[in-house]
Amino acid sequence: MFAKKQPWQKRDAGLTLRMIISFAVLSVLYIVFLSVLAYVGVGAIAIAVIAGILILAQWYFSDKIVLWSTGAKIVSREQFPELHDLVERIVARNNLSKPRIAVINMRMPNAFATGKTPKSSIVAVTIGLMDQLDQEELEGVIAHELAHIKNRDVLVLTLASLFSMIAWYMMRFGMYGGMFGGYGRRDNQGGAAMLLILLIAIVTWIVSFLIIRAISRYREYVADRDGALITGKPSKLASALLKISGTMKRIPTRDLREVEGMNAFFIIPAISGDALTNLFSTHPPVAQRVKKLMEMEAAMS
Amino acid sequence: MFSLSSAYITLDVKLGLKVTGRGALTFKRVSGTFFYEMEQDIRQFLDNLQPEFDLAWRITTDSYGYMWIIFEGKRIEDVLAGLTTISDIIEEKGFSDKLLAAVFEFSSVREEGRGGGVSQQYLIYNYKRNNFYPFVPLGQKTTDAEQQMKIMATVAEEIPFERDMTLWYPLWDLPLRSLV
Repeated sequence: MFAKKQPWQKRDAGLTLRMIISFAVLSVLYIVFLSVLAYVGVGAIAIAVIAGILILAQWYFSDKIVLWSTGAKIVSREQFPELHDLVERIVARNNLSKPRIAVINMRMPNAFATGKTPKSSIVAVTIGLMDQLDQEELEGVIAHELAHIKNRDVLVLTLASLFSMIAWYMMRFGMYGGMFGGYGRRDNQGGAAMLLILLIAIVTWIVSFLIIRAISRYREYVADRDGALITGKPSKLASALLKISGTMKRIPTRDLREVEGMNAFFIIPAISGDALTNLFSTHPPVAQRVKKLMEMEAAMS
Repeated sequence: MFSLSSAYITLDVKLGLKVTGRGALTFKRVSGTFFYEMEQDIRQFLDNLQPEFDLAWRITTDSYGYMWIIFEGKRIEDVLAGLTTISDIIEEKGFSDKLLAAVFEFSSVREEGRGGGVSQQYLIYNYKRNNFYPFVPLGQKTTDAEQQMKIMATVAEEIPFERDMTLWYPLWDLPLRSLV
């Protein structure tokens, strides 16, 4: 209730905007291109194949797309020697391929990994991350990202999207191509059936969207666990997560006795948007991730 | 609140936090005969603690106008029982809206990298929300957010816990000095 927007939260809008633009452009391209094909009368199977090719192309260029949309720049050992050293230490001990390293010039702490194969992958960190985390916390984050690469999560999630996308396009455009002989003939019966198919297509897409989100959240837990196994320090990844999520800044400093008079805050329970955001989120809630990491820590000692 | 009587073991095992045996209850002081009578009931209870409760006690009032009943005992169960009896008296007399919080003290040996030494850490029970939240003060007016999150991660399933961190209000200058 007293939370002012931190400066780095405002600048994040730029990053979000770029990511939205890149995904929107892609989606529109697909839709337009495939609509044209359907209009012209291309069959459903052909459309499926073309959609598949487009998505594979997206996967092939995913590195460049992600680098552009996040503003990440690949950096050499000369530019960031300590960062390269840190990554090398981890990959050497764990028999992993050393990824290319990218840096994003943002104050907000964050990191990600992308890559088509473990051999040609990228780990990116923001300047803010390197500033705010200590060595061991940074190691924890990098290990988490390397785990994503090792587990081929980019491929897994792309495949999951691929199949759901193909299903959707087949449904959506099959009704133009296969069933009704192409654009042109329309009667009442046809109209109702089209609507039904459209409805099914939408439901299928929504369900697969939610499933993909669930898969993504599960893979985050796995990357947490594998990353912690790589470093042997789960609590350090936990504290890094807390710093990255800015969670800790929300804890108040005003005394309870001062605010007690504002009864409204205590009588009306905080409306929890949590359940809803969890369903749509690609990442599990920070508190849950921290809890699992602390359990690992306890099990290790 | 009694769920703490098992959760304190978890805090010891998983985080190395030990109960110091000190706990307190705080409520807002008002004027008037009814409140005065309730105060007398509380004092009478405190004067007759032994031998049923093995507790040392102290009463104080702070600069916000809140009264503190502070207990120290060897067993946390006794502290819990003592605090519950006091809150019962307060509720019976119709002053439950004046009840603010109960506080339970823990201590741990801090890691080397964080300056070493012993640190006092607290679980605060908020009577208005009926749940616990952690409080780990660090010097002047700052809290150890990381440690507070660790405490939540450790016992949030065992005791009713405040998930909304924006409600983790500190209680600065706790009057929980040693009584024995």
